[in-house]
Amino acid sequence: MSRRRWLMAVAIGAVTVTLGWALFAALGRQLASPTPDAEPPAPVADVSSTAGPRISAILYFVADDGVSLVGVAHDVPLGATPAAQARALVEAQLGTEPPAPLGRAVPKDVAVRGVFLPGRDDAYVDLDSAFVSALPGGSHNELLAAYAIVSVLTTNLSPVTRVQILIDGREVETLAGHVDLREPLRKNEGLIRTP
Amino acid sequence: MRRLFAFVCAALASAVAVATLPAQAPLPAPLTLLSAQGRRPLTVVSVNGTEYLALEELAAGLGLTVRDDRVTGGTTVTLRARSAVLTPDRTVVSVQGRLVSLAAAPLRQDGRVLVTAEFVTRVLASVMDQRIELRRAGRLLVLGDLRVPRVATRAEYGANAAQITLDVSPATDATVTVAGGHVTVTFAADAIDAAVPTVPVQALLQSIRTGEGAPTLTLVTGPRFASHRATTQAVDAGTSRLVIDLMATGAEGLSPAAAAPAAPASTPSSPSSPAAPADPSAGLLPFDPASADGVRTVVIDPGHGGDANGTEGPGGTLEKAVTLQVSRKVKALIETRLGLRVVMTRDDDRTLDQDERAAIANNNRADLFVSIHANAAGRPTVKGAEVYYLSVDRADLETRRRLLDPAQALPQLGGGTRAIELILWETAQMRHLEQSAALAALVEASLRARVEMSPRPVQQAPFRVLVGANMPAVLVEIGYLSHPGEEKALASGEHQDRVALAIFDAISTFRERRERPAP
Repeated sequence: MSRRRWLMAVAIGAVTVTLGWALFAALGRQLASPTPDAEPPAPVADVSSTAGPRISAILYFVADDGVSLVGVAHDVPLGATPAAQARALVEAQLGTEPPAPLGRAVPKDVAVRGVFLPGRDDAYVDLDSAFVSALPGGSHNELLAAYAIVSVLTTNLSPVTRVQILIDGREVETLAGHVDLREPLRKNEGLIRTP
Repeated sequence: MRRLFAFVCAALASAVAVATLPAQAPLPAPLTLLSAQGRRPLTVVSVNGTEYLALEELAAGLGLTVRDDRVTGGTTVTLRARSAVLTPDRTVVSVQGRLVSLAAAPLRQDGRVLVTAEFVTRVLASVMDQRIELRRAGRLLVLGDLRVPRVATRAEYGANAAQITLDVSPATDATVTVAGGHVTVTFAADAIDAAVPTVPVQALLQSIRTGEGAPTLTLVTGPRFASHRATTQAVDAGTSRLVIDLMATGAEGLSPAAAAPAAPASTPSSPSSPAAPADPSAGLLPFDPASADGVRTVVIDPGHGGDANGTEGPGGTLEKAVTLQVSRKVKALIETRLGLRVVMTRDDDRTLDQDERAAIANNNRADLFVSIHANAAGRPTVKGAEVYYLSVDRADLETRRRLLDPAQALPQLGGGTRAIELILWETAQMRHLEQSAALAALVEASLRARVEMSPRPVQQAPFRVLVGANMPAVLVEIGYLSHPGEEKALASGEHQDRVALAIFDAISTFRERRERPAP
């Protein structure tokens, strides 16, 4: 093999390796799990007093039978982007007190670390670990809490059909030992009662 | 470049040459003559693919007299007044004046007369007036009425667990002992006729070998061997099955077996006795194929435990304590009234992750999985029992495709393929959903007859513990600890008895329907 050919082979090999590395790195970034916002957890917004344009959304609370979710219309700040709207919806779900005789499905005073919409159908809701520690246990409470978060997004943000709850930026198996949260959940119509 | 080309050509040529070399016939393994007087090895020679034995060596072992007739060229074998006359290269032999036709004629080679095993079993047996049986698997010639059961050995092995299944025919008592780190099975017999599989040397199981001159079979274990468990099952009237599970040290994700104390050094195992009651800490236990259509093993999963208290009632009653108490009652009912094997995922206050619970059920090849929990609601008036089975709304097309493709052919050692059933852990429960729904309905009906039910008595939910269970599985919420009155009831033995009886009845009914389906 001549020196020229040898040099060409080396050059082609180097270009191939470089392109492969670049492609691998880019794909790696693309496929990586969403990371939480760099900013510290935001305090729960006082949704009812937030100024600016608002939309009417359905929030979910525990029905008076104690075992179902029921949707209630409530004004929520209009988000500038789908992700901002999703975050506003989740914050409203967490921060809004239910009208009597309904009950809370989710714990109070839990910070939303981030809401991500990486694809058309899926949403990722990253909550502070207080969401877990404030749950009183029991599969029933866990189901209602998880599906209240799922329902508020799938009902009000039409492209979203599946929601995965993250805790402190990480995927969790369950909140309290029951509901499988390793993958996004779809809305559970069987758990929702018509008002 | 030319050198490289020449080297490649030479390598290819060598590979082709090696691949096309004719396979050399391996030297035949010796036979062992087994009699009441003991064992005697017999040399075997192969001539044109047929195995032969030296007649003189045989005669010495059997106490026969062999005499050549130089005039006729024949050979006479005599025992007392009985004799047989054979002629090399002729397939007809005279035995006590009666002609016996053989598939292969005796041979004369290097001054020796060679005969086949058929000659032994048909001709020499007549001369001796005794039964001589050839056991090809164990390379045995059995003389007389000795107890030599056939032992078919099957091994499934991995890094963390191994299961050795011995089908013994006729059914024979056996004792399993551990000595020197090895597990030895001693059969109540004069010898065993066993062909043992060759297993690759691994850290848990290194080899399987039969005893030299003893009716034993030894599992040579490696450094990771921690404990064993032996159980006996009746396969049919004449065959017993002994299953030995080897558990490794530090085996995670499979079972808590590694953490369990080592099994007793000696485990009597009789086909006439039922398998020992399941140890709650049991990890791997064998599967009885006969149970495929019935219910033989039930796994009861007391919810939470250890660091996970579960929910807590206003009076301080912990979910993990109530679930364990009720589970123990269900276990006792099933064992005493149905005689089924019951395995508890935990029988004390220990932490188990969700996959461990399903793994215990799967590794025990359980036929039913019942997870027992107590519930809580924000509204203290909510009460009643509920039954759940898995919801499947997250099943994607790929997992469905796998479910519809139950067997895949994988290459196996030594060539060929073996059909392997591949089940994704995440989809294990999906194919049992119909049965799980049926079980849930039975549990609900049975509970309803004894205790108050919730307004939503049967539901589907994506409960983590049910996902990986590869059998019909339900999660029973036996009541709400958040309801003060129900908390008191759930803590009482009387209410627990009612709940346990309800679950037991449902399992019993499910079993009856599964084993005797409606026409």
